[in-house]
Amino acid sequence: MRDFELVRPSSLAEAIALLDTEDGGVRAFSGGTGLMLMMKTGVFTPTSLVRLDGIEPEHAAIGIDDDGSLRIGALATLSTVEHSPIVQKVAPLIPEAMKRLANVRVRNAARIGGNLAHGDPHMDLPPVLAALHASVRAVGPDGERTIAVEDLFAGYYETVLGRGELLTQVIVPSQAGWASVYHKCTTRSADDWPALGVAVSLRVVDGVIADSRLMVSAATEKLTRLVTAEAQLKGAETKAETFARAADAAVAEAETIDDARGSAEYKSSLLHVYVRRALRDALSRGALQ
Amino acid sequence: MDSSTLIRFTLNGQPASARIKSYFTVVDLLQSLHLYGARESCGQGLCGCCTVLLDGVAVSGCLTLAQLVGGRSLTTVESLDQSGILSPVQQAFIDEGAFQCGFCTPGFVLMVHQLLERNADPTDDEIRDHLAGNLCRCAAYPEIIRATKSAAARMRAAATA
Repeated sequence: MRDFELVRPSSLAEAIALLDTEDGGVRAFSGGTGLMLMMKTGVFTPTSLVRLDGIEPEHAAIGIDDDGSLRIGALATLSTVEHSPIVQKVAPLIPEAMKRLANVRVRNAARIGGNLAHGDPHMDLPPVLAALHASVRAVGPDGERTIAVEDLFAGYYETVLGRGELLTQVIVPSQAGWASVYHKCTTRSADDWPALGVAVSLRVVDGVIADSRLMVSAATEKLTRLVTAEAQLKGAETKAETFARAADAAVAEAETIDDARGSAEYKSSLLHVYVRRALRDALSRGALQ
Repeated sequence: MDSSTLIRFTLNGQPASARIKSYFTVVDLLQSLHLYGARESCGQGLCGCCTVLLDGVAVSGCLTLAQLVGGRSLTTVESLDQSGILSPVQQAFIDEGAFQCGFCTPGFVLMVHQLLERNADPTDDEIRDHLAGNLCRCAAYPEIIRATKSAAARMRAAATA
């Protein structure tokens, strides 16, 4: 690696000012687990890294709103989120997914904001959070905005975040009435990056699917919401035929890609299996609630 | 231009300082201080051979910039037998034969210490979950789980003695 500067601003505003530059070698640095890999492989050569661990501590806090929404500061480590009783209460799918997300050391270092802003389509949290209808707060030189997690990704390792814009918070609404599942498939070894991730949330009323959210990741260039599959589910009875129709629609709409973890065709086959399996498991979870 | 920076920190309980390059990882830092317990193997945070504790929390030394250690406390496997006596975890690894080549062992030992600090009597599943990010290419996994349980029993006995 080449020499670079490491700066440590003491406020969010100062960090944004440092990142609001045309120099592509200036990047925000939180847990560093993603960026270090890019630096070690020469994919990214920094001129200046802006450490975020010195900014206001509120940006790492986890809390709950009066309406039952969960607010996770972007600088909370994945371990903190994993072990938070509040997160467990509002969205138990998040700690469940953490168990097989990287490993203990990476979760001790990585921050939830960095995990999302990295834009890696193989990450587990984007499909999980999007299925839970989560959004993020972003603050930049032009002010603050809210972005749905499903709209955060523009492409392979690309987000819609602008120059100098930083994620500050992840907001997960109350999950009352919803049942959710995340399944991933690793094709080379159990701890590999996934070839496919599928997250499903279902709201079932009197045996009929009132609402659903279906997300696929890893097999596609970016996190993708399976809207035609959701349309197949809406108002339908919770039976295997319904789930098979949704899986057909998912395969038709998801643009799967070839990579070292499998061909596009193989991933489409996986998608068909995993959508049905995730819907079945979400349904049985809902029945237990 | 390739400058170096002086950092001061606590290393295994003692004040320490080192001159480092901006791009040094914690593994580079430790090698410059002739500590070879943390080793870089995969270089991607997957294998656990470079495990160290930063302010008491396990991280991958290969993915941690050395500059981040400034002003903080770094603990390596070399801290465990500073008294001249092996730690209960180290002794249990030897007694159970929980390694062959030993390359991964310092990482496993530190991870097991972390687990037992929080959980005095972990189940097999809890041990597997905690050690899922540590790879032993000699596949001493059954012995490592036995050693973890044995160390836990020794530490519980010592705590109540």
